[in-house]
Amino acid sequence: MKEVLAVIRMNMMNETKQALADAGISSFTARKVMGRGQGKVDYRLLRGAEEGHEEAINQLGPGPKLIPKRLVSVVVPDDTVQKVVRTIIEVNRTNHPGDGKVFVLPVTESVRVRTGERNDTALSESPI
Amino acid sequence: MILVRAIVRPEKCDEVLAALMYAGFPAVTKMDVYGRGKQRGIRVGEVTYDELPKVLLLAVIKEDDKEFVVETIMKAARTGNKGAFGDGKIFISPVDEVYTISSGSKEEGEPARPAASAAIS
Repeated sequence: MKEVLAVIRMNMMNETKQALADAGISSFTARKVMGRGQGKVDYRLLRGAEEGHEEAINQLGPGPKLIPKRLVSVVVPDDTVQKVVRTIIEVNRTNHPGDGKVFVLPVTESVRVRTGERNDTALSESPI
Repeated sequence: MILVRAIVRPEKCDEVLAALMYAGFPAVTKMDVYGRGKQRGIRVGEVTYDELPKVLLLAVIKEDDKEFVVETIMKAARTGNKGAFGDGKIFISPVDEVYTISSGSKEEGEPARPAASAAIS
């Protein structure tokens, strides 16, 4: 099992939900987070601002440092990981910085609370 | 690559973020969480608070930078000289694959070594 953690744009949530549902992945968790990426950070500028140079402070601007994002977490069996990653990348890609990242993390165990099933059976679709 | 999850005090969050920025690790995700630790929350007189507000920071970094990043976060998040209960925890887990959505490319980083992750757990 793997956990796919994707940080995506706020306004891409609906498209992502739809695309994941179309791909047959119905279960996932999402939450609102704040974040920043590699960005275009000029460390000389930061240093200058820290030392109190007016021009450097003006160039940094008053904007907020952290950008609101959505963090989507999907736990899937090993053979579905590539499908999920490809779906998320296809939908969210606008070729601009800030589109987000996708991380794949190993999961050692999962349990369905309702029945106590473990691992892959806990992830599979089950009759209600 | 590894994922560093740091639970810190909300009032220390800005300091940790600034420290990480200056250390050259700008990419961080932040979320507000509620939790309690080993001390079972805080007891003030008759009242026990067992859902204390904290901030959870996520950062994916190269395995070689682990010690440095952990040290940076710890230094910035500690209160007082010796630290205090409630300063938080840092958890590290392995990351198998990293993709950048805007380019669609897979980030080439050294995968987390099994020996190292065994040592962490």
